[in-house]
Amino acid sequence: MLFRSRLQLISLMLPATLLLAVLTLYPISQILINAFSYVDYAGAERQFVGLDNFAELIDDWFFIGAVENTLVFSVMASFVQVGLGLLLAVLFDREFPVKRFALPIVIYPMMLSTLVCSAIWRAWYHYDFGFLNNALVSLGLSPVEWLFDPSLALFSVMLVDVWQWTPMSFLIILAGLQSVPADIKDAALTDGASGWRRFRYITLPLVMPQILLALLLRSIDTFKLFDKVYALTGGGPGNSTSTLSLFIYKQGFKFFNLGLASAGALMMLLIACLLSAVYAWRYVGAKS
Amino acid sequence: MIRHIKPLAFYMGLVLVLLFFLLPILWMIGTAFTPSGEYISNSLSLLPEHPTMEHFRALWKDGFPERLANTIVVAVGATFLALVFGFLASYALVRFDFPRYLDHSFLLLVLMIKMMPPIVVAIPLFQLLKGIGMLDSSLGLILVYQVYTLPFCIWMLLSFVREVPLSLEEAACLDGTNLPKRLLYIVLPLCAPGLAATFIFTLIMAWNEFLFALLYLSTPSHFTLPLYVSNFITENETYWGQLMGIGLLSSLPMLFMAGYVQRYLLRGFTMQMK
Repeated sequence: MLFRSRLQLISLMLPATLLLAVLTLYPISQILINAFSYVDYAGAERQFVGLDNFAELIDDWFFIGAVENTLVFSVMASFVQVGLGLLLAVLFDREFPVKRFALPIVIYPMMLSTLVCSAIWRAWYHYDFGFLNNALVSLGLSPVEWLFDPSLALFSVMLVDVWQWTPMSFLIILAGLQSVPADIKDAALTDGASGWRRFRYITLPLVMPQILLALLLRSIDTFKLFDKVYALTGGGPGNSTSTLSLFIYKQGFKFFNLGLASAGALMMLLIACLLSAVYAWRYVGAKS
Repeated sequence: MIRHIKPLAFYMGLVLVLLFFLLPILWMIGTAFTPSGEYISNSLSLLPEHPTMEHFRALWKDGFPERLANTIVVAVGATFLALVFGFLASYALVRFDFPRYLDHSFLLLVLMIKMMPPIVVAIPLFQLLKGIGMLDSSLGLILVYQVYTLPFCIWMLLSFVREVPLSLEEAACLDGTNLPKRLLYIVLPLCAPGLAATFIFTLIMAWNEFLFALLYLSTPSHFTLPLYVSNFITENETYWGQLMGIGLLSSLPMLFMAGYVQRYLLRGFTMQMK
């Protein structure tokens, strides 16, 4: 039985719908208008300029750099996290004495504020007194400019994301592994399949859906990257760690270039919509 | 002998993994109790030689309690608002007959909002908050946090409401119990564990939020803890003791809750419907 009263339905849905409309549909409509306009400093006057903002973006070296960094970060971070998550999940897919204590430890980084993570790692990356360089020096190696070497900085930011979010891929894949029926694993074992072959031809295909899910969720999330870059490098050195979110933030809130910021935001929104459409098509089925 | 090699390799791998995830957190805890002169060094030790509470005393005077209070107000407020609105909506989505697939469209929209980078709507929201005079206030922040918290609550509560057996409600319906009473006395108690888990997840999300706090708060005394951390990083580059003190204090509640929400983690983070 489903309830049919329209009045009740409307009164239940109204608060959430209204709030979401004000907080997202209205802003998106503003973005749509501003993206094709020249907006003056105070946002008081608007003038339709067609595709000028987009043309300016395509020519903007900072924008192109931010797009590149965002894509590199999103793709690489997702793959590394899912790969490590898979390794970890295989490691944890068995019974061992301290499992009850080991599992929460692996999950802790996810619970921390991104800013706290960034604070810890920024200290660890410190050139003179950071933990990582101290470790390198004590091993007889030379210290590294983790955050100030343009070719390395993006990867240093990535390491922090890997530290914080590998646990999520790990949990998703572990859940998949644990739902593989034991008799399938046993059958392969009695057939005499080697460890690697069991993994490659039986386990891996069975957890492929979870691996794809983790990849998709992590790429959607890493695509938004802002906090870590803001706190660790501020986008520098040069433009080497700037991301789309940071670019829009700077254009909108530092240079008050609302038209350009809106055009960038619109492009970002379209990419995000594409990603979530893939997600919805793949994972959101019928209601009943 | 050969039989022992595999467990040995396994435990070595396990120790390495746990060290990777735990070491930075242990370092944070240790540094929070290390005197200033000691952590600016080339030592690799995690424990202070002369443990001190000086950083916590300094933080207490520097306005930590105020920021903690702000964070509690904003996080709890945003969570309650999202939980109430989200509960009503998810109940309607599970139990009611929607015309023309409107329920599917609504859920898709919610999903899109959940996946959308928040920076996209940040500029218009700034103007919106400015327009209604809620810039730089906890109330305004509670409102805009619904961009994150409301879609999350709707999505997560959906799966819990769906688990409430319809038969109980049908029986109550025959007795003539009206909708508010059914919600309050039947659905709500049966969803309690789910509501608690959703509450904690949403709280963590709002507690840790940074972008909107950075954009919409300007007075230091209104800051939330993540913003406090960010300001500290940029202004006092190597006051690591105090910085890690803030980090430790603001993480403790979240780390305690980690144990409770562990079994709901997957539901919270994957948002599947199948």
